[in-house]
Amino acid sequence: MNNAFTDIDPVYFEYAQKYIGRFMPITSEELFDLLQYCEIRRFDKRVVIVHEGEVDNYLNLVVKGLVRKYLSVGKNEVILQLATEGHVVQSEISYLTKTPSMVVLETLEPTILVSLTHNKMEEALDKLPKGERLGRLILTGMFIKKDENRYNRLLKTTRQRFFEYIEHHPHMLQRVPQKYLASYLQIKPETFSRLKALYAKGRK
Amino acid sequence: MLMSPQKSFLDFLNKFIPLSQDEFNQLILPCIVKRKFEKKSIITQTGEVEEYINFIDSGLVRKYYKKENEEINTQISYEGHIIHAQESFHSRTPSEYTIETIEPSELTSITYECLERIYSTSEKMQRLGRLVITSTMVLKDKWQSQLVKLTPRERFLNFVSNHPELMQRVPQKYLASYLNIKPETFSRFKHMVKEYSRKIFFHHN
Repeated sequence: MNNAFTDIDPVYFEYAQKYIGRFMPITSEELFDLLQYCEIRRFDKRVVIVHEGEVDNYLNLVVKGLVRKYLSVGKNEVILQLATEGHVVQSEISYLTKTPSMVVLETLEPTILVSLTHNKMEEALDKLPKGERLGRLILTGMFIKKDENRYNRLLKTTRQRFFEYIEHHPHMLQRVPQKYLASYLQIKPETFSRLKALYAKGRK
Repeated sequence: MLMSPQKSFLDFLNKFIPLSQDEFNQLILPCIVKRKFEKKSIITQTGEVEEYINFIDSGLVRKYYKKENEEINTQISYEGHIIHAQESFHSRTPSEYTIETIEPSELTSITYECLERIYSTSEKMQRLGRLVITSTMVLKDKWQSQLVKLTPRERFLNFVSNHPELMQRVPQKYLASYLNIKPETFSRFKHMVKEYSRKIFFHHN
């Protein structure tokens, strides 16, 4: 694990700036100050980052790789999120309330995260000018995104969910095992295969 | 003694951050709008941009969306809780939800614009806002996980033991929809609980 940010990989910098820029403008100096509170964590593929029942102490921005978040329901897994570069992933309830996590986080590819512990977050919110504002806006943004995902799951048809997702994330068909995508989109595996064939045909 | 509505809103905020009566009077009170609704009144219509965050002083309010003519209830809230179309409110886009009273209700409301004004006054207000939003998001996430993880029976029993009073106040079809339980299954569970309590009652007497 590397804690030094003295020379920050420009790629990490760029992802962080892009992510935060969605919520409020941030200068390079401000971002640099914020990154001082963070650490870089590297994981192999197929590593569980947060187990069920464990308290999640990190807020993570994915700068390389892919992380899935899922709930175990009996013998099944329900995938709630597939986070790639530029996305934030964590066990929110656990992190925010310091209670055991209900969800599991696992890498699917070798992954690099820029991570912020709960204590460091509190410190950053307190000490950085605009800290509280940024915290509130990021949280609001997460909330909106979650709500939108819920609507999509509830209001859209299977077909709409599939095509909209694939249009926006064409690379995910290559990166993610099909059964995970099907679970994430709440589509039966056989239906997923059928829609995928339809999609491939349409593209020819 | 009846608690004043202002007092109960201040108590609610105090759970997140200690706030003096003066701070409340100066920063928040000027933004408060009191709104009164009859039962079964629509507070926010689908397609409308949510203008308010609402704290329920009294009454009972539900939030639902329509799917093929069916109303799916996603929130049922009473005194002391916050309800509004939050995604619409924060993102300033049309609401997917309708918000409607079940009982006559009184709300303490703050407009989006005025809330932004409150935030701009201090870091403390920003912090208060963050903490309220955090707690709402956590509640929502927990509820979503329960819908996925628990069986209908578990959801029913959890709900009955945590909110017994709502069983009387809320029409059964709304509760069934909120808990994502088929109406016939809901009746069966309700009957089961009744039988069980009667047995316990006789046993103890």
